[in-house]
Amino acid sequence: MNVRGHFVNDLAELKGEVLELGGMVEQAFTETIEAIRKKEYSKFDDIIIQDSKVNSLELEINEKATLMIAKQQPVASDLRKLIVSLKVSSDLERMGDLSVDMAKAAQRLTEKENLIQFEEELLLMASKAHVMIKAVLIAFRDTNTLEAQKIAGMDDEVDHAYAKFVQSLFEVVAVETGVTEQVMQMAFIARYIERIADYCTNIAEWIIYEVNGQRFDLN
Amino acid sequence: MSSLSISTELPLKKETTEQVNKTVVYDTKNLNLWYGNNHALKNINLPMYKNEVTAIIGPSGCGKSTYIKTLNRMVELVQNVRISGEILYREKNIFDKEFRVEELRTRVGMVFQKPNPFPKTIFDNIAYGPRIHGIKDKKILKEIVEKSLRGAAIWEEVKDRLHENAYGLSGGQQQRLCIARCLAVEPDVILMDEPTSALDPKSTLKVEELIQELKENYSIIIVTHNMQQAARISDKTAFFLNGEVIEYDDTDIIFSTPSDKRTEDYITGRFG
Repeated sequence: MNVRGHFVNDLAELKGEVLELGGMVEQAFTETIEAIRKKEYSKFDDIIIQDSKVNSLELEINEKATLMIAKQQPVASDLRKLIVSLKVSSDLERMGDLSVDMAKAAQRLTEKENLIQFEEELLLMASKAHVMIKAVLIAFRDTNTLEAQKIAGMDDEVDHAYAKFVQSLFEVVAVETGVTEQVMQMAFIARYIERIADYCTNIAEWIIYEVNGQRFDLN
Repeated sequence: MSSLSISTELPLKKETTEQVNKTVVYDTKNLNLWYGNNHALKNINLPMYKNEVTAIIGPSGCGKSTYIKTLNRMVELVQNVRISGEILYREKNIFDKEFRVEELRTRVGMVFQKPNPFPKTIFDNIAYGPRIHGIKDKKILKEIVEKSLRGAAIWEEVKDRLHENAYGLSGGQQQRLCIARCLAVEPDVILMDEPTSALDPKSTLKVEELIQELKENYSIIIVTHNMQQAARISDKTAFFLNGEVIEYDDTDIIFSTPSDKRTEDYITGRFG
């Protein structure tokens, strides 16, 4: 195979690894949410431990991309593909961290009785974020800018759900006593979900950048 | 909360840098050139600006060397050359009968791929041009030699051996000597045809640094096969293919977001 052919293969492999990372992050997110839903508190430790795999794959992607830049001196769309791989994997890694943060917050919730009436709202918000994660990974896989642009609308929905959820938590604190710790942990979890959705929007922006070289603010 | 409306239109490419305030040194208009029946340059339209480095890139046989040699009318030395269209140098058509080719070549210096010093001393290599232009005064000649060698960033290396044969210099030094020889007649434009392709990386770096310094006072047009070099040192880049200018733009744009797929394919190494 010629040099160019090797480079094209390496680019495809790199993208495959970023998608693999995306798959791991999506799994960590769904497992965390499922554990919250099913009250399988023992699973949180696993989720926290698994995050180290996400971190090492991200490092591997960084090293590979750096080496490709150093050896091939890519320009134009080739360079953008590499930069986007670096940026997207970094955003994915942060999303992984946020799932860990969610798991830790959920662990703290286990010690108290849950505020059941709010769990449904929280899970609804999580499912919206999950749709975003899946959509953005598919848009990244297919380099589909139109699908990437739709992510912005989904993020608005998550933002809206987050604002509503926090508002209802405020109202609980005002009337009930002894729920501050629970309310705080739930607010944290909601915040982490909202941040994950923001990272999806970031990734969507990188997909557009990969195609036309322009940053396009979707937030 | 912002609305959910999403534009399906992606933003347009940003506008090319406005050139309104820059002086045009060369303006090529509808230039066509034939070698016999071979249509080597096809309807070329290109401006070249003062105090800028314009790089010309493209695969072998695309017409880039022909084009640069047309700018100082050296191409006319080839038999069976036919040219139509015009090249305005400082607003005058270089193909006009009253335009003196000697005057053009005084104003437009050229550096070639292989260093080509004369078989003379370093001093005489530089003093050659000024002497032809009638400068006899030794003091003035000495001043010109020092100024030119300094301008080409080689003075420190040769100041103690000015009367040795130029052939004793390394390839990189010889090339900078040729650039100094070019500077000695105080040109307006310097044409460079792959000036570093015969040099090692260190000499290449020196010549590239020199080009960056020279553009303060001169306008430079460089043909290069080395795309990274074009990206590093030029302000504008023109991509030639099969005798046509496929794309001409700010170098930053050509190497990040070229408009034409053929440019993208060439600079990313898909062909050429």
